Amino acid sequence: MGNNSSLMLRDEEIDVISKETEFNRNQIVRLYSRFLSLDKKAQGFLEREDLLNVPELAVNPLGDRIVDAFFTLAGDEIDNEKRLNFRQFVRVLAFFQPVDRSKKNSLNGRRDKLKFAFIMYDLNKNGYITREEFKVILNSMVGANITTDQLDKIADRTIEEADVDHDGRISFEEFCKAMEKTDIEEKMSIRFLN
Amino acid sequence: STIAASAMLLQFVVGLASLFYLPFIFSIVLLVIFLSATGLTLGIRKRIAHLLIAIFEWGSDVSESEEQVSESVGETREETAEEQPAPIRKRHSSSDLRIIKREHSELIDSKLLGQDVLKKKSTVSVLVDDSLDFISAGIESIIEDNVTSRFSAEQLPSWNLLSRTKYTFMHISPKLTILWILGFYFRYLILVPIRVCLFCVGMASMVFITSAVGYVPNKAVKKWLNRRAMLTSMRIFSRSFSSIVNFHDRHNRATQGGICVANHTSPMDVMILSCDNCYAMVGQKQGGILGFIQKSLSKAEHHIWFERSEAKDRMAVSNRMREHVEDPTKLPIIIFPEGTCINNTSVMMFKKGSFEISETIYPVAMKYDSRLGDAFWNSSKQSYGEYMWMMMTSWAITADVWYLPPMTRMEGEDSIAFARRVKKAIAKAGGLVDLEWDGALKREKVSNKLIALQQKLYFERLSTRTSMCSEITDDSIDILKNMSEDDRNQLFKCLDEADDDNAVIRKVSEFIPEVAALVTEAVKAEE
Repeated sequence: MGNNSSLMLRDEEIDVISKETEFNRNQIVRLYSRFLSLDKKAQGFLEREDLLNVPELAVNPLGDRIVDAFFTLAGDEIDNEKRLNFRQFVRVLAFFQPVDRSKKNSLNGRRDKLKFAFIMYDLNKNGYITREEFKVILNSMVGANITTDQLDKIADRTIEEADVDHDGRISFEEFCKAMEKTDIEEKMSIRFLN
Repeated sequence: STIAASAMLLQFVVGLASLFYLPFIFSIVLLVIFLSATGLTLGIRKRIAHLLIAIFEWGSDVSESEEQVSESVGETREETAEEQPAPIRKRHSSSDLRIIKREHSELIDSKLLGQDVLKKKSTVSVLVDDSLDFISAGIESIIEDNVTSRFSAEQLPSWNLLSRTKYTFMHISPKLTILWILGFYFRYLILVPIRVCLFCVGMASMVFITSAVGYVPNKAVKKWLNRRAMLTSMRIFSRSFSSIVNFHDRHNRATQGGICVANHTSPMDVMILSCDNCYAMVGQKQGGILGFIQKSLSKAEHHIWFERSEAKDRMAVSNRMREHVEDPTKLPIIIFPEGTCINNTSVMMFKKGSFEISETIYPVAMKYDSRLGDAFWNSSKQSYGEYMWMMMTSWAITADVWYLPPMTRMEGEDSIAFARRVKKAIAKAGGLVDLEWDGALKREKVSNKLIALQQKLYFERLSTRTSMCSEITDDSIDILKNMSEDDRNQLFKCLDEADDDNAVIRKVSEFIPEVAALVTEAVKAEE
């Protein structure tokens, strides 16, 4: 690709990241190559805009929310702008590795994956998903195609189904319980090649 | 005195070399001019190309085996199935270089197109389920996507001894470094001077001969002379970049006017196509040297040059092109409907403008082999001058051109569908990926229309596959709310997650007479 940037990845860094995230050397090098191509202005870190420049993410109804969750989980805030360096980038991606049941201390267990989804739903990051927050998600997915009435009804139904302690909002525990029957390991795992 | 003797010897050798250097360069130039004028070829470029490719593959084997050695020395972890040294794989194309398998993105695509199998489920569970899939598909597209990769040069299977394609973290062994130095000197000291001479000769011949031809009164002779002049000049040009072009299916060439469309990779596309056939060019009027060239070309043949202001008026543009196309004495026009240079691994959306002018289109597919030199022009990273210099200092430009049989618009087909059909044929012939994404995404953001379209597709999925919009269910919700807690719990015990709408309605009706009344009303309304 002719990327003669001075942001070289040193071997020690690769080893540290490899131990932390269970990616092998080859995968980290490929992800670094991807990081560089997303970082068009060659700043050494990614901003929200860099991720949203990917057209397939921009047309994803939850694209905005996904980028938000990404930066919440791992970014630094500098000058009111969220930034993501390579190590943080790989850390978040590590959540989506397939689950290896033999390894207990991994980053990609069921709860960790659910954490990503929960953070995506929880807009104001106060640890609870409220009816209003769910409505925003729903709105992103269907746009102006449904009436506010239908929107309300669906949001109500959803919150009611999962709200065990009837406090009108969903905590992380309630969220995990509601997702009991869903095969999270399969739904939120990305198969890395080699 | 030995030092003095060796210094003298060196001076002698250098002097001898420079004595022969200029004549050597000039004789090659003359040979090339002769070959271009007569349309013959000695096949030298092809042989050198094979030799170079063999050297590159040897070089990559050498560096891969050295990498294996250094990796196994640094290995400290326990042996698992993955950690065994992988057999040395020969990678033949850039499509082998994927990071992930994009299962979730494909799943989302099939869901939005209504192609997946869905048992009737409640709206809520489908929504939550799908949102998880959207998340995974989004993360997949962050890791690897189909579009942004098309706007940068494709990855090579093995290093081709050009520093511009070296990865920053690639191990370069001493053997390869020596090869690189030799290659460097060969390219810059021998190839570049020859190429620069040829380029100037080609430019001069094109401009002056076409101006001269412009004065010939007889139309038929003028046409014949222009053809010979253009073909010769273009062949000199193509040799000045050491291009090796294979033309396929030449019987499908456009000979009597019409429109040719092709996929766009570099500014040299026109030059390569013009080696085999004469085309009328279309473009904006430039000032300076380019403008001078445009004027000279126009003296011998009809080309279409637009003023800047005219170019914005789409009606004027299509009218002028239509006039040209309908005149059988004029040359065929060459157009690139993608509108921008793409890196030659895919074909992106064709703009419909060119497909509205004529009913018949002559498609041409071009595929470059980037192993000896990547012809893709990344206009956001390189200026035109830089690009030309890169081309002059590469090994060679290798291209395959397929002339496809002419395609006509089918009855009732609109321009967009016609464009899509032609694009598909070109992608198939060239072995390129057929994408619907707009090449303008190189510089622009995704338009809101696309986002709204995705939302609409998702809404349609929800409304057809779940009970979201049925009125009966909405009213039943109200009724359920008004029931007492005990009654409600009893009702839910009867219902099953796997029940479809009809079963739910039936069970609820049995429980609550008001719902039964609603049902009969609705049935009557439908009749």
